[in-house]
Amino acid sequence: MTAPEEGEFKIVFTGPMGAGKTTAIAAISEVEPVRTEVDNSDRENHEKEYTTVGFDFGRITLPGGHPVRLYGTPGQARFRFMWSILGRGAAGVIILLDATRADALEQLDLFVDAFLPLVPPGAIVVGIGRNAEPGAVATDAFATRMEARGLVAPVLTIDAREPRDVRLLVHTLTCILESRVPAGACA
Amino acid sequence: MKRSSAQRVLRDVASKVLQNYRDVVGVQSAVLFSADGFELASYAADEAAAARLAAIGSSLAALGSAISAEAGLDEFERTTIESKSGTVTIMRVGDDGAMSLAVVAGRNAVLGQLLWATQRCSQALAAAVHT
Ligand SMILES: Nc1nc2c(ncn2[C@@H]2O[C@H](COP(=O)(O)OP(=O)(O)O)[C@@H](O)[C@H]2O)c(=O)[nH]1
Ligand SMILES: [Mg+2]
Repeated sequence: MTAPEEGEFKIVFTGPMGAGKTTAIAAISEVEPVRTEVDNSDRENHEKEYTTVGFDFGRITLPGGHPVRLYGTPGQARFRFMWSILGRGAAGVIILLDATRADALEQLDLFVDAFLPLVPPGAIVVGIGRNAEPGAVATDAFATRMEARGLVAPVLTIDAREPRDVRLLVHTLTCILESRVPAGACA
Repeated sequence: MKRSSAQRVLRDVASKVLQNYRDVVGVQSAVLFSADGFELASYAADEAAAARLAAIGSSLAALGSAISAEAGLDEFERTTIESKSGTVTIMRVGDDGAMSLAVVAGRNAVLGQLLWATQRCSQALAAAVHT
């Protein structure tokens, strides 16, 4: 267990294949991230060269000096067993989505369903990538989708390659956890 | 995943090689899988079980590579998960890291014999696939 009060805590980045989880962790980690990427043989599902089959791992220090461990999950449902392994003991989850995927809203549901039981109530932040590209699902639709199921979660548009955007996601999540992390973490 | 004819040939050839496990005491099932967790061929495993073994096996193989690299070792080759009731061995097939083999065995298996058979099977698969 990683109780936030006992020092370092853990945040999980999840979401479908190609949403930018590995990219996001590499963008902000202060240590060389651990990656478990292999050749992607499923080019029908996603046109990218590599895919994560174990987990990503990185580390950052919050403005208040508090260390945070960052874990990224595989995105494909066949790796669901890794989701629960990685979700165990997490202080919160950041769900990344690619707005240009036609099934982006269903993907939101899928990852909310998987992680809601694993994290403290309300400890979810949603990051929407590629929101300005043609055919992108409107950002409002994601918030509406969450509200429809009685959930309140910040929905931010991001570029996972931008450290500033990724830090904002983490910062937003730590603000939700404010009562649990030492003062100063949420400046 | 789309099954190309090359994949069908691989499946047929690999399935034949995996049949050799019939003669190895204690082996319950075996699955050949891609690095990203798709089953390519299997022995004595139903489709759903083979798919799950393939996904979990690929994670273990990737973690094996990650920890080998972290420790400054050469490429990951093999790992065996041991329990009171049996073992699961994950072995890399070929040199390019594109495939691995998972073998599930019961308590009655002799580990040395199993590993030897798995080594041989892995070599036969690598040879079959790369010709
Ligand atoms: N245009 C754009 N590309 C992105 C964004 N996020 C990630 N990418 C790219 O998408 C690809 C997939 O990212 P990756 O981190 O492997 O996705 P993962 O499967 O979620 O780990 C990478 O080539 C990234 O550079 C984004 O917000 N906008
Ligand atoms: Mg990844």
